[in-house]
Amino acid sequence: MPAHVTHADTGSGILALGYGPLEYELPEPGSYGLPPLGAARDAQVLDEENRRIRLHDLYDGRIVLLNFMFSRCSDINGCPLSSYVFNRLKSTMQDDPELEAGLRLVSLSLDPERDTPEVMKLYGNNFRFAGTRGDWDFVTTDSEETLKPILDAYGQDMQKLVDAKTGETLDISHLLKVFLIDPDRKIRNIYSVSFLHADLLLNDIRSLFLEADGKGAVPALARSGSVLSRPGDDKEGYESEDYVTDSLALTDRKGEGFDLLGLAESPPLGLPPIPEPPDNILSREKIELGRKLFYDRRLSINDTFSCAMCHIPEQGFSNNEMATAVGVEGRSVRRNAPTLYNVAYMEKLFHDGREENLEQQIWAPFLARNEMANPSVGYLLGKIRSFADYEGMFEEAFDGRPIGMETLGMAIASYERTLLSANSPFDRWFYGKDETALDDAARRGFSLFTGKAGCSSCHLVNRDHALFTDHRLHNAGLGFENSIGDAFKPSRVTLAPGVFLDVDPEVMASVGEKPPGDVGLYEITEDPADRWKFRTPTLRNVALTAPYMHNGQFSTLEEVVEFYNRGGVDHELLSPLIRPLGLDAGEQEDLVAFLHALTGDNVDALVLDAFAAPVGDPGQNSGRDP
Amino acid sequence: MKTATMIQKMRTMALGIVVGAGLAMGLPVSTATADETCMSPYMAKITGQEDFVYVWTLGVEGIGDGQDKLVTIDVNPASPNYGTVIDSLSVGGRNEAHHSGFTDDRRYLWAGGLDTNKIFIFDVHTDPAKPVLFKTIEDFVSASGGVVGPHTMYAFPGRMMVTGLSNNKDHGGRTGMVEYTNTGEYVATHWMPTDGDLLGAEKGGKYADGYGYDVRVLPRKNLMVTSSFTGWSNYMMDFGKMLGDAEAMKRFGNTVVVWDLHTRKPRKVLDVPGAPLELRCAWQPNHNWCLTTTALTSKVWMIYEDETGEWHAKAVADIGDPSKVPLPVDFSILSDDSGFFVNTFMDGKTRFFDMTDPHNPKQVYETVIGTQVNMVSGSWDGKRQYFTSSLLANWDKKGADDEQYFRAYHWDGKELVKQFEVDFYKEKLGRSHQMRFNAYSLFASNNAIESGTRLASSD
Repeated sequence: MPAHVTHADTGSGILALGYGPLEYELPEPGSYGLPPLGAARDAQVLDEENRRIRLHDLYDGRIVLLNFMFSRCSDINGCPLSSYVFNRLKSTMQDDPELEAGLRLVSLSLDPERDTPEVMKLYGNNFRFAGTRGDWDFVTTDSEETLKPILDAYGQDMQKLVDAKTGETLDISHLLKVFLIDPDRKIRNIYSVSFLHADLLLNDIRSLFLEADGKGAVPALARSGSVLSRPGDDKEGYESEDYVTDSLALTDRKGEGFDLLGLAESPPLGLPPIPEPPDNILSREKIELGRKLFYDRRLSINDTFSCAMCHIPEQGFSNNEMATAVGVEGRSVRRNAPTLYNVAYMEKLFHDGREENLEQQIWAPFLARNEMANPSVGYLLGKIRSFADYEGMFEEAFDGRPIGMETLGMAIASYERTLLSANSPFDRWFYGKDETALDDAARRGFSLFTGKAGCSSCHLVNRDHALFTDHRLHNAGLGFENSIGDAFKPSRVTLAPGVFLDVDPEVMASVGEKPPGDVGLYEITEDPADRWKFRTPTLRNVALTAPYMHNGQFSTLEEVVEFYNRGGVDHELLSPLIRPLGLDAGEQEDLVAFLHALTGDNVDALVLDAFAAPVGDPGQNSGRDP
Repeated sequence: MKTATMIQKMRTMALGIVVGAGLAMGLPVSTATADETCMSPYMAKITGQEDFVYVWTLGVEGIGDGQDKLVTIDVNPASPNYGTVIDSLSVGGRNEAHHSGFTDDRRYLWAGGLDTNKIFIFDVHTDPAKPVLFKTIEDFVSASGGVVGPHTMYAFPGRMMVTGLSNNKDHGGRTGMVEYTNTGEYVATHWMPTDGDLLGAEKGGKYADGYGYDVRVLPRKNLMVTSSFTGWSNYMMDFGKMLGDAEAMKRFGNTVVVWDLHTRKPRKVLDVPGAPLELRCAWQPNHNWCLTTTALTSKVWMIYEDETGEWHAKAVADIGDPSKVPLPVDFSILSDDSGFFVNTFMDGKTRFFDMTDPHNPKQVYETVIGTQVNMVSGSWDGKRQYFTSSLLANWDKKGADDEQYFRAYHWDGKELVKQFEVDFYKEKLGRSHQMRFNAYSLFASNNAIESGTRLASSD
């Protein structure tokens, strides 16, 4: 691992490690991990021909090495070192086809004033002798105003030494950093002068090649594309007598922060830019505050409920452990907790679509008697105001504005808006044109999805992105059946692994409240034509968000597909889009395979980020008397 | 050790109580003639007629003041107030009041709220007829590192072991036990073993779910035993809704864990499918077993030591007709281990099992206590058995079957005869849950008790 290399940094007058032979043996490529360090952010730059391009145009699915430099840099262990190392890599690309095809070198100037595109072209010309194979791009920006946010995004410092009289830039000082960026535009390593060496870079690049081939040290992902998205005491197979527990230790539920702002600013492949309300532009401070609030159980009347108690990170930001939610004091909620993945794009919130933005939405669960049950707006604001651990956080995030009904909603909305997940196998295949990304069953499933089964008429797939929803509400008949049909049916009840019993409905009724009615959109519009209409959910990460439908009635995707295959529940108000599909068993399996291919590749990173968030409970830095 | 025990014995006899730790040293159990049989062996015991039963009661919206309370009932037939509520102490909130337990010196009663995670500590020694709230622990979750649902309050020498039911991450069943000093200072969290971290335990069968519920000890065998129920999501959910929810019904405990009592390290996870709840360990010095009953599968299980010192679990009897899900809840063992009462919530019955052959319990008696029944507490001599009705706020029966009561019975070895009852709805109290006995005799001299307490704690 590079971490144990301990050469002194610059300034000694000794040539840096990168100029000579490496003094230690490198580990086998792929035998070690390179954990993601956040998103490599996008920005507008100028290429050598003075064309405006995006950095993400350069991060085109190849591995990218990015350095910041300037043409007049004179510190031998600064920019010249990174250029020397890049030149060595370029030379290696000449007779290594895999490297030539899979690696791109990018040098971005720190000096837009002098390093015009023309100068950059001339500078790049110095390295032409390395050979013609492989790409090394020399880019700059049109002004320091354009450059500054890029430096901030990559954490690259820069100090300018300016002539006091003329205002002329005499020199630029910066800490040498080279960024290794993977095909998913995630930063995987950051090199300093103390270990910037071509051999070591090659080792890391080859490790990423192996990872892309599925041979790397990263943990093998399950079919759903996640190892962490599962209930902590997974009950898969509980129906069988052979069930064996696979429970996780609570003490192992630890994580690490993720660059959520970076993610929101550069949504993964398959997602469009997020719609951001003009009065609530994302910032790190808002996201951090919103994240803290999201996991704070003190935000309910009796300190037992945070948002995350129903939107559990490792359960797809939904709840895999119950069909319909339960709130304060165990009060029943009649609908299933929906996933928050990609909620930034939802034009209608709640299963009945009654709310229009996240800033406002949060107040419904805050105040609902059967959710977080806060008695009033003022009560909750006053309570948070009394917590010492929030002191100054709202003011910092909102330009001096204190906590209020608006800022509280804006903070939580900011966190929720960053929970973006895509670059799924489907995205890599459909948008990324990677023929190897999607298996045959899922491809056949996609053909059915957009063809014979007609799913995409509501779960939309666009040319350049897919949200898998039309933002509309439809009646598939399930609500009708539950309202008009017999609510309590004889039910097989699980008593233990592989042990079931048919329990008399009357016995169940004797210990249960009357099942609640649910007429869907009608309850908002009071238009009889809107009875039993519910929102089209996104299908991204759908493999992680069981059970399904507005009331969590189906445990598996197979049951959902089977329901739609039989044409939902026929009745007068059934949507004309719902009809028997005539899919055979194999076709239904293919559809399910496609749905499994919609799991984003970053869900584990988002879950780990959530694990790293503090959970608020009474007595925990609250500033209140115990 | 020996000297301390001798002094302890002399002093406790002089005070009219027997310190439970003496049992571990082989003292004859017949010196105690009253008190409950489900208490910690480390605890002082009442030797005469109990004066009071405290009922930890759940507040019900629309009933009286709608909040949880400790209700004191006079149960001494010699008292002019016999059979009546003599005190009610409201604590604020509906906390899902559930179980309670005395500290080893019996001066304080700890009562937990499964929902809000508060632990209310009542002073029951200054005036046993009128408990006062001494202290409330509000940071149980944060202090413990995320344990939710303080359930059993079990006396250890100088400290309390509080079992959890859930956690603050997913409100599921994985949890731990939390140890406190008698004064309410947090000591340690002992996580239940999971597959992810068995904490050195052996996974004896197929399950290591990490769930928790009750705890009991057999000090002479250096044994601690725990059982497993379900997480907050289920115990707070409407019972009917939960029975109809296929996912929720998978989330019940299927394990009993045997621990090294001294080191608090789990030794072995035993498969006991179907939610093993209450645990009762045998009192007789040659009985190396504990019992539990499984709520969903309606069986009595024995946790026992074989000739080689290995611990096992085996089902030894059915309770009622398991195909009708009678839902066994609390049970109460006689002090000579010769039998036990077990309640079944759904049919409102109590059943008496003969334990002459402990490996083969036989039901010999049953009677209906009410439309629903949950807790049973028996006096040490077995002559008095008390019953209450509430299981959990959202699991109790709905409508007319939702009786809430305290009923006092006498048991002559053959039949239960009702003495009196208190209607908890009529009295505007709420849902009656767990019972604990108290007696003036325990606190005849508070100064003397102070010394005795120190001795007991140092054991």
